[in-house]
Amino acid sequence: MKKLFKPTATLVLLTALMLLESSGLSAQNTAAAAAPARPAADWSRTPTSEPTYKVRLDFNRWHDVADLQADLRTLEKAYPKFLKYISLGKSYGGRDIAGIILNNPDTGADTTKPAMYIEANIHGNEIQGGEVCLYTIWYLMENYGKIPRITKLVDERAFYIVPSVNPDGRDYFMHGSGQGARTGHLPLDEDNDYLFDEDGPEDLNGNGVIEQIRKYVPGQGTHRKSAADPRILEAVKPGEFGDYVLLGVEGIDHDGDGRVGEDGPGGYDPNRNFASDWQPNYVQRGAMEYPFQLPEARAVNDFLLAHPNVAGLQTYHNSGGMILRSPGAESIGEYPAADVRVYDEIGRTGERMLPYYRYLIIWSGLYTVHGGTTDWGNDTLGILSFSNELWNVGQYFNSPELKEQQRDPESVIAPRVANNFFNDKLEFGDELTEWKAFKHPQFGDVEIGGTFKKTFGRLPPRFMNEELCHRNMAFSLYQADEMPQMAIGETKVEKIADGVFKLWVDLNNPKVTPTILAKAALNNVVPPDLLTIDGKGLEVLAASWVPNKWRPGVAPMIDQKDLKRIMVRNGHPGRTIRTVQYLVRGSGSVSVTYATVKGGTVRKVIALQ
Amino acid sequence: MMVIALGSLLPVRAATDFAKYHNYDELSAALKTAVAAHPELAKIESIGRTREGRELWAVEIANRTGTPVDSRPALLIAANLEGDHVIGSELALYLADFLLNAYATDAAVKQRLDHSVIYVVPRLNPDGAEQMFAPVKALRRSNATPFDADNDGRTDEDGPEDLNGDGVITVMRVKDPKGPYMISPEHPKLMKRADPAKGEAGGWALHPEGIDNDGDGFINEDGPGGVDLNRNFMHQYPYFGADAGRYMASETETRAMLEYVLKHRNIAAILSFGESDNLIAAAGRAGTAAAINLIDFAEASNAGARRVGLAVDFGGGAGRGGFAAAAAGDESTPAAAAAGARGAQAPAAGGRGPGVQPATTVNAADTEYLNTIATKYRELTGLSSSGYTRAPAGAFYEYGYYQYGVPSFSTPGWGLPAGAPPAGSATGAPEGEAVARPAAPPVDAAAGRAGGGGQRGGARGGPGRGAGRGAGGVAGAAPPAAAVPEGIDLRLLKWMESEKIDGFVDWTPFKHPTLGDVEIGGFKPYVTVNPPAEKIADLGAGHAKFVVYLTSLFPKIAFAKTEATALGGGLYRIKAEIENTGYLPTALAQGVLARSVKPSMVQLGVPPESILTGAEKTNSIPTLAGSGGRMAFEWVIKGKPGTSIPLKLVSQKSGTDSATLPLK
Repeated sequence: MKKLFKPTATLVLLTALMLLESSGLSAQNTAAAAAPARPAADWSRTPTSEPTYKVRLDFNRWHDVADLQADLRTLEKAYPKFLKYISLGKSYGGRDIAGIILNNPDTGADTTKPAMYIEANIHGNEIQGGEVCLYTIWYLMENYGKIPRITKLVDERAFYIVPSVNPDGRDYFMHGSGQGARTGHLPLDEDNDYLFDEDGPEDLNGNGVIEQIRKYVPGQGTHRKSAADPRILEAVKPGEFGDYVLLGVEGIDHDGDGRVGEDGPGGYDPNRNFASDWQPNYVQRGAMEYPFQLPEARAVNDFLLAHPNVAGLQTYHNSGGMILRSPGAESIGEYPAADVRVYDEIGRTGERMLPYYRYLIIWSGLYTVHGGTTDWGNDTLGILSFSNELWNVGQYFNSPELKEQQRDPESVIAPRVANNFFNDKLEFGDELTEWKAFKHPQFGDVEIGGTFKKTFGRLPPRFMNEELCHRNMAFSLYQADEMPQMAIGETKVEKIADGVFKLWVDLNNPKVTPTILAKAALNNVVPPDLLTIDGKGLEVLAASWVPNKWRPGVAPMIDQKDLKRIMVRNGHPGRTIRTVQYLVRGSGSVSVTYATVKGGTVRKVIALQ
Repeated sequence: MMVIALGSLLPVRAATDFAKYHNYDELSAALKTAVAAHPELAKIESIGRTREGRELWAVEIANRTGTPVDSRPALLIAANLEGDHVIGSELALYLADFLLNAYATDAAVKQRLDHSVIYVVPRLNPDGAEQMFAPVKALRRSNATPFDADNDGRTDEDGPEDLNGDGVITVMRVKDPKGPYMISPEHPKLMKRADPAKGEAGGWALHPEGIDNDGDGFINEDGPGGVDLNRNFMHQYPYFGADAGRYMASETETRAMLEYVLKHRNIAAILSFGESDNLIAAAGRAGTAAAINLIDFAEASNAGARRVGLAVDFGGGAGRGGFAAAAAGDESTPAAAAAGARGAQAPAAGGRGPGVQPATTVNAADTEYLNTIATKYRELTGLSSSGYTRAPAGAFYEYGYYQYGVPSFSTPGWGLPAGAPPAGSATGAPEGEAVARPAAPPVDAAAGRAGGGGQRGGARGGPGRGAGRGAGGVAGAAPPAAAVPEGIDLRLLKWMESEKIDGFVDWTPFKHPTLGDVEIGGFKPYVTVNPPAEKIADLGAGHAKFVVYLTSLFPKIAFAKTEATALGGGLYRIKAEIENTGYLPTALAQGVLARSVKPSMVQLGVPPESILTGAEKTNSIPTLAGSGGRMAFEWVIKGKPGTSIPLKLVSQKSGTDSATLPLK
């Protein structure tokens, strides 16, 4: 209960302030009317408390592929210095897999900085991540130079943002019959009749929704109208008979085989086609014949391979309210403890940023996934990878009091009828189609309807989407901020003898994420960090890691052949300062460099004196 | 059906010169010449282009008149996935040449090319194979993809050098008190790993011929190339192995092959030539049962290069947020991982089972087919004992069976005389227990340096997940102590001596820039995996018989019986029976399990509403046994007298058929 009081108290305070303000205003107005003529204050010239936006975009609607790409172009045009519109490749259907490189060139090329890769919509019907991507670009640009932490983030990191990895699926969802269709659009023969994609669902009544078909069969059916809400068709109890039978989804028998809608577009899972723990179709349904067979997965992979500086990955899905991480299958085994600690820190922080979301491991919290994007990112590319399942229907009734009410089965917002209540009261009934009579070529007189629109359930209501965009963006920006960031800290030089010096250099990664994940080090998939030292005529006699620079002791020797180029295969852990000790013979100055693939490269020149 | 007039096979005079190994240009020319001489039977296409710009040739061999070629059952012959296995290319070339020339005179060959089709991909790794023809020969299985084999941030920086200028890269042995090797008591030219349990002492270290170009303490640990294509396919893929590529199917050659077989789903059997064997050895998956051999010991000896700079250097770090505290040492052990893994949240109630697991052994229902074919292979080729072989992991032919779902074979294509049985062993060592790869421990300081390095090399997977991770191995593990059959080194050497083959460089002293006094010697590259060129024709002839046999086994599906009976009132009873007259089933059990062989389809060409009872309009048959397996279908339909009803039978790998039933 203690938790609950805080926000409530804040709300009360805010409300009180607003009341005060409005009453104050009205008092002023009254006074103004009574007083002798005095020029009205012209507030239009003083700065508003609201930011003024250079680009206005809508986050209360869903964008098709053309809309998304147009908005990306608009942003690029408004912020040409920071944004570059790119295409990762073409989808099977020939659509661009469009993205944005977001980088401040004044602070270096994008490839020299730790980068956050954010993508969405690999499943055709899971679209709202596209809007989150769009929002992220927009928000970063509009607030650069206004909010100091945003400015710093943009200056320090690069972002690669791809709003729709499966543009064919997105447009099929937006414009076609793609309700619930995760697939891409490479044709498969799902019904084994040697024809490909010849019999998909069909929007017979042209209302934009693939609905159910029911037939009225009084006293002989398997379903009946619910007494609580006649729009709900409920299954009868065993031994009882209802008035309706369900005849499947809206469609016709295109190929004359007696079946309806049995071989629609695609028929696979684009997010099972990645090469870590990829398994063939009979182990992992929808995996396709080999990893990266799909042009979309291949394009993503080509991009990531070409950008080894990517240190963070987010792939937005829907729904359920989850912050997911790999492994996708139990057989892979839990990740090394050092990596788990990093994931836990970020995931648990995410739970506090995203109400109704839970931080889960894919195989144990959701289901087993072989060959998914996050396994690929973590295991083979060495990228800390999350997948947020955007939106949880609990958010329809987003308060502790309403949550409590939902426990009562007789409540009008009990889970069984909650969607209807929400649709009726908040969406004015717009999300549910009515049953309407239809003359079906195969089934005769039937009714079509009774289906929530594709925008309901897995997508937030439009009016709630901006919050979804912002909170998930904030989580990804938090992850981006916690990507590794190497720095050279204190240095110390001690003269041992003529021309011989002891040199201490602090290496610091203040962020949560290590420069190389432990799993990546085990798999040898990320090149080692390189600690190099250069100087004219410099000779390195020995190099050591100092266990604790405040407590004198023997520093264990670094047993490598080339001490001017020390490999640090495990990388540098997060939030850690390490001290390296060199015994060198030389003069003048030396330059110490710590180069990482994912945490930047830092260099310091140190005078030997 | 099964009677094949093998005796009638006349030795066919080949236009191609089979007394030599062909480099890429010669092979290309030979293929093009053969195809040009038989335009009605052969087509050549490039299915891809390598990094170094060589074409990947595929030849289609069939009489194209008659049934469309892609509706006929097909045999795919694939070779040279391992770049050093050039004999495979020669045999594939021989077979293409044989089929084209024998068509005119040999009835069996004519029958095969009239009713089936043979695809030949003779050299999938031309960039690798070309090394056999280089001025300095260094054994190379891999393609030309640059790969940072030791993951030190530098790519291909430490390859071999021909120090003694003899044109071949062999082995250096150096006297070293820490060295674990000794001169073999079996043969003074050979080396073996000393077995302390027998009171043996080492005293020699082995290195591949070359220098330590990058000064990391390892010799030739990151040479030119690349990826071994036969480690790059998806079945039991050796994740993160040094020669397996960055990921499954990462290579352009691998993908070209996959796209080719997926485009030709009529492929009903695969014969690949390579360094794994499931035709000569009865056990199927045997590797080389030898404690060490001089052919590929370097892979294991340089494994330590990938562990330099790993964790153990750090005493603990000066952490302030806890992230460094456990960075060293304990991470990779399962117990540590579990202890540290508070995880996200606990597994959901009810748990989730491991689900379907990939098959790793031949399906019992398929064993007899595969064994029958292997037995016949040995009979027809006369090969009974293979030479140097490797256990498969990520091999193409295993993909062919386990994922593509067809009978799929690999053979080195030649053999050595069988080795002497192990001394003092009544039964001999079980060949199936052969090690995946000779696990020679690291040669030099790496063993001491890496500390827990051995266990860090562990495979990623849980139980049942394939063959580990290549060259990792458990450092310091002793070879099997007793009852080891005669090693491949000795068998090769004896064979070379008896056949007068110049395949071994005698150990001769050399002054090495960093190692000092060494001796350079050992097997010449390529000679150990490729027989002398004059053997090609004989080997080819034996394999030609086998190909003629193998292509006689294809499933062949057809309507055996159809009838339409009038029942009166416009009703008709339709009956159809299909039969597989081939030897093989229309799909192997693994093909059904893997859902990779599409079910055959029987379809009645009427509107679905006119079927009153009986079978569906469209019926799927997952598999139909061979040698006369039958299946019957029956419908009662409403029809019009005087019309006729079409019946269609379609199968992915056993042909198509149709029938028309007049309604009276």
